[in-house]
Amino acid sequence: MNVYVADALFLAASLAYLAATFLFSRILLGTSRAPAWLGSRLIALGASLQGVHVIVWSLVLHACPVKGIHFPMSVFAVILCVAYLSMRTRYRIDVVGAFVAPLALTSLLASRFVGGGTQMVDQAPRLKSALLPVHVAANLVGIALFSLAFGAATLYLVQEHLLKAKRIEGLFQRLPPLDALDRAEHRFLLAGFPLLTIGILIGTLWARQVEMGGAADILRAAFGYLTWLLIAGVLLLRAAAGWRGRRAAYGTIAGFGFAMLVLILYLLREANPGAHGHVAGMP
Amino acid sequence: MIVVVGVSHKTAPIEVREKLSVGADVLPEVLARLSKRSELKEVMFLSTCNRVEVLADTSSDSGQAALRAIREGLAELVGDSPEHLEGYLYDKSGHDAVRHIFRVAASLDSMVLGEPQILGQVKDAYDAAVAAGTLRNFLGRCVHRAFTVAKRVRTETALGAGTVSISSVAVDLARKIFGDLSDHTVLLVGAGEMAEAAARSLGKGARSIRVCNRSVERAAHLAAQFGGGAAPLDKLEEELLLSDVVVTSTGSRTFVVTREMVKRVMKARRGRTLFFIDIAVPRNVDPEIHTKIDNCYVYNVDDLETEVAFGLKARQNEVAAAEKIVGEELAEFESWARGLNVSPTIVALRAKTKAVLQAELERTLAGRLKHLTEGDRAALQQMMDSSVNKLLHAPTTRLKIAASQEDGADLVRAAVHLFDLPEGPPPEIEKAPRDSPQGADDAHADDDDRLH
Repeated sequence: MNVYVADALFLAASLAYLAATFLFSRILLGTSRAPAWLGSRLIALGASLQGVHVIVWSLVLHACPVKGIHFPMSVFAVILCVAYLSMRTRYRIDVVGAFVAPLALTSLLASRFVGGGTQMVDQAPRLKSALLPVHVAANLVGIALFSLAFGAATLYLVQEHLLKAKRIEGLFQRLPPLDALDRAEHRFLLAGFPLLTIGILIGTLWARQVEMGGAADILRAAFGYLTWLLIAGVLLLRAAAGWRGRRAAYGTIAGFGFAMLVLILYLLREANPGAHGHVAGMP
Repeated sequence: MIVVVGVSHKTAPIEVREKLSVGADVLPEVLARLSKRSELKEVMFLSTCNRVEVLADTSSDSGQAALRAIREGLAELVGDSPEHLEGYLYDKSGHDAVRHIFRVAASLDSMVLGEPQILGQVKDAYDAAVAAGTLRNFLGRCVHRAFTVAKRVRTETALGAGTVSISSVAVDLARKIFGDLSDHTVLLVGAGEMAEAAARSLGKGARSIRVCNRSVERAAHLAAQFGGGAAPLDKLEEELLLSDVVVTSTGSRTFVVTREMVKRVMKARRGRTLFFIDIAVPRNVDPEIHTKIDNCYVYNVDDLETEVAFGLKARQNEVAAAEKIVGEELAEFESWARGLNVSPTIVALRAKTKAVLQAELERTLAGRLKHLTEGDRAALQQMMDSSVNKLLHAPTTRLKIAASQEDGADLVRAAVHLFDLPEGPPPEIEKAPRDSPQGADDAHADDDDRLH
């Protein structure tokens, strides 16, 4: 019975994210005069439904939501939406929902369909550690904040391009103020960076404990460190040399790109679990 | 015949307009040079942010020689050949020229439709031409009439109501860059009328307002009105460090804010965004700052045009009403202009009639009627004056009526021929009316800012 309820919640959350994606696309294209907060409400609805879905599945599977990668992908979407919803009014970045909604939808769908089945994730005993949930949780929240920074940075670049091109009608009017985007991007990076640092430190420690050393693990770790270095560089250059605006936005986008690569590598590992002692599974 | 040659925001970019613009200091010299041309009887030079025009009256019927003379004069002004300006210049003559002058004064041809500054600027140009002695009876009357048109448009229509001004557009743009302006400082470079208008718009939300001007006293006076601070122009670089939105409106003919200056400032600002609104013509801010320096944005009057154009759509009904007023006044002016031809004839007819009768009366009083007392002589004089008035009342009225009609010139020519009359003297020129003590005085400030 609970499985059906969870499926219904999954479907409803997906539809809410889809509707938000559709609405934000139309707002940005200028084909809808609907206010951006309406899209934010749809994201809130989707996140609420997905939150309940995560709880129901946790109960059904008796699983920790931050173990493995599939289930955390779903949790990531919820964290992303919550972070967005709690910051959107403060920074006047409703339109960043145009990134949040499709990303949340993708994460939700990936959590179910990429490399998955309907079985429970079962980690190899040698990989079990109390550090793992902390590593995953820190990284999830960190990447969620970087995702918001990415959205703000992308919109900043669009807005900045329009302003430099002196095209101050249409899309320019629908996007948030330039400085608000720059400020939001910086704050999201600042908030996400310590979490990423914790995630990487714990990840390194854990990898040593379980003696990981395959090529995929090294590649994943390398991208993780590169992400950290990029974000650290962006923050440092901004503080020390006044790198803001366009340069900071490019750095943020690159950092987010590497973070996403790490996430994708995790997902791919789950799709090919044999080599890593995992059993593919999906809530 | 009245002719107009010029460039405006509709025909030429700011790069061309700023080359042709003439400051108040050199205006008398330019007027004197133009008026030396034999083709031009009267000349007036209008130079604003959005237009540079030469208005002239010419004795030539076709006006072609006058148009050519003005084109050459403008080319001389920029040290270029007339051909290089060809693509940008427009010209109008006769009926079209008068209509154009009326429309310009009524702000129907402005970038910001219905804005009030243009009238003050036309009045300044008029006063300058009167002072230079280049404006007399016909063109002078025409421009004077344009003031009436502008006043009627302002009082009888809502054209100026809710005007989307350059300042308000600039404020909107500043908000799209900075969001809330309450954490940001606005710097006004120049302390003229437009700087004041900008301060009024930006001052509402900004954290503070600073004024930087060549004359510190004037800067302090303006800053005091908005509770801000003042600084001399040589402290501009320091002021740029503290400011986020910079409105420039000085009368300088060279860049007041240079690329090198902003490069240094941006380094010291650690990349914090700097937004320039350059409402001066010639421009005060090097446009390369916009393209070459990160986090710096420079917008001039032309860049704000698109935004301002929205105001035009919203006031189309008012435009129609204003155009109707222009049409009415144009008809009246043309009627007056035709009447101008008959005035010398009437004056001459009366003078001749009176002179003939006076001579006869004096001859009679010196002969057969020399015994008359002073009282009797005065009575005779009064009788004669009254007779002249009664006798000439009908011809005078008919000539005036004929003059207001298109084909009235025939009757005037007939009267001149029949009575062998000479041409009469031109009417006196009037001073430009002023609605308020503001306007020209403000615009003549050393850091004069001009829009339109």
